[in-house]
Amino acid sequence: MRTEEVEEVDVAVIGGGPAGMSAAVAAQKAGAARVVIIERGERLGGILNQCIHDGFGTKSMGKALTGPEYAQIYIDLARETGVSCYLNTMVLNLTPERELTVCSTGGVRRIRAKSVILCMGCRERTRGAIGIPGYRPAGVFTAGVVQYYMNIRNLAVGRRVVVLGSGDVGLIMARRLTLEGAQVPCVAEILPYPSGLVRNVVQCLEDFGIPLYLSTTVVEIHGRDRVTGVTLAKIGPRGGIVPGSKRLVKCDTLMLSVGLIAENELAKKAGVALSPITGGPIVDDHFQTSIPGIFSAGNALQVHDLVDYVSLEAEKAGLSATEYAHTGKLPEANIRVSPGQGIRYVVPQYISGTEAVDFSMRVVVPDLDRYVVFRSGGQTVRRMKQNVLAPSSMVRFRVRGERFQNIGRELTVELQA
Amino acid sequence: MNGQFTCVVCPTGCVVNAEWNETELLSTDHAQCKLSWDYVRGEIFDPRRTVTTTVRVDDGDLPLVSVKSDPPVPKRTVFEVMQHLSHVVVKAPVNIGDIVVTNVLDTGSNIVATKRIQRKV
Repeated sequence: MRTEEVEEVDVAVIGGGPAGMSAAVAAQKAGAARVVIIERGERLGGILNQCIHDGFGTKSMGKALTGPEYAQIYIDLARETGVSCYLNTMVLNLTPERELTVCSTGGVRRIRAKSVILCMGCRERTRGAIGIPGYRPAGVFTAGVVQYYMNIRNLAVGRRVVVLGSGDVGLIMARRLTLEGAQVPCVAEILPYPSGLVRNVVQCLEDFGIPLYLSTTVVEIHGRDRVTGVTLAKIGPRGGIVPGSKRLVKCDTLMLSVGLIAENELAKKAGVALSPITGGPIVDDHFQTSIPGIFSAGNALQVHDLVDYVSLEAEKAGLSATEYAHTGKLPEANIRVSPGQGIRYVVPQYISGTEAVDFSMRVVVPDLDRYVVFRSGGQTVRRMKQNVLAPSSMVRFRVRGERFQNIGRELTVELQA
Repeated sequence: MNGQFTCVVCPTGCVVNAEWNETELLSTDHAQCKLSWDYVRGEIFDPRRTVTTTVRVDDGDLPLVSVKSDPPVPKRTVFEVMQHLSHVVVKAPVNIGDIVVTNVLDTGSNIVATKRIQRKV
């Protein structure tokens, strides 16, 4: 019998989207001996390949690129720096000792990595996740699937498309469908405010006269073989249907943009501790998870609204993973960071307190003119004014290392008037 | 004249109150940066949009190549540009930056490829 060969690498990056590419390039540049990206699709770039709209890079590169253009920058960097890529290759298992079982047309094999970076991204919530009653006709799609069909495969999904949920992809696809000649009678959003960025509400809906109905949802899907319409209803402040508010909207397609789920099956298999709020691993300021040598970045860690921050976050994870591969350790992170009043979550959840930290967080509800305050006991560590706050816009702050001197083991982030 | 605009230059989405006359923008308030000035002036006097869409590819490893208008086209021409592009077919290979249509509909804008498409093997 042939002895099974195990490939040894410094850094294994799972997923070749924006996070994975940025992490791998950073690791390779930092001097990691062998860096591999393992990507289950047939090319690098991930979801950017189907995001043909522009607006990527406004924060980090000072210009608005389309998704494929932004991706190509990192694809070229990966090639130039010498990152190895296994395409059409799926990771089946990950152990806490950082041994990966991977599968491709060549068969099943093993890779042992000194560091692993989890960059699997996220997937869309589907009809099943939100439980809309009715038959199961053809014509119900998630926004990302519509985007793939239209922008990659040249397939139309329908002629009259109601959109449920106002996530960014849904808003962008409402515009895209309109440009391609489909009718979009409305976008319904169950919350009293949009889930997507304001700029997308303006440039995707208002520009095209598409109405956005807030506090409204789809309560029934009609049609047996193909969607023939949906019933919309107003949702009251306590979550119930407002009596008399039901109305039928005829359509042949329902497109869902109702949230994203961080994809962490592999993290679970390895025993990585996950946050119930973000759905991603609990990490420290080096983006290291609860298992030493396993790191996480991008939408697998927390769902982002801007790719610019995914790239930055993953770059840091790549550097940390390289340091771990070389030295076998990173500074201990003993200071716990918790969300306080008005804050839904904050990442990282633990910090070492020895160096500057870029915090990302989201607020609970839309708000104006508030201070974001980092507090340790009664001591204010950092205070920043924010004019506009919305759950759809991730808030990011850098806090310098000196600020963490002489603070306790607990750091709280909250909104103050 | 006056009115309210939501600046879309960056993801912050500042709400800007603006005042203007027949020929120029007079004042804006409430924006966090200076970029909103040019955006608001454009919205009032010459609104433009970057059209991002796809055109068909012959012999490509994918059936479509993504494209954009560069510079942005006048907003009123967006649907005409879409209509025009529905008849365009390019031949693989295509590289980022390749001009797919020069001076589309006399707008002064080119339609430029934003994705690399290789020849089908």
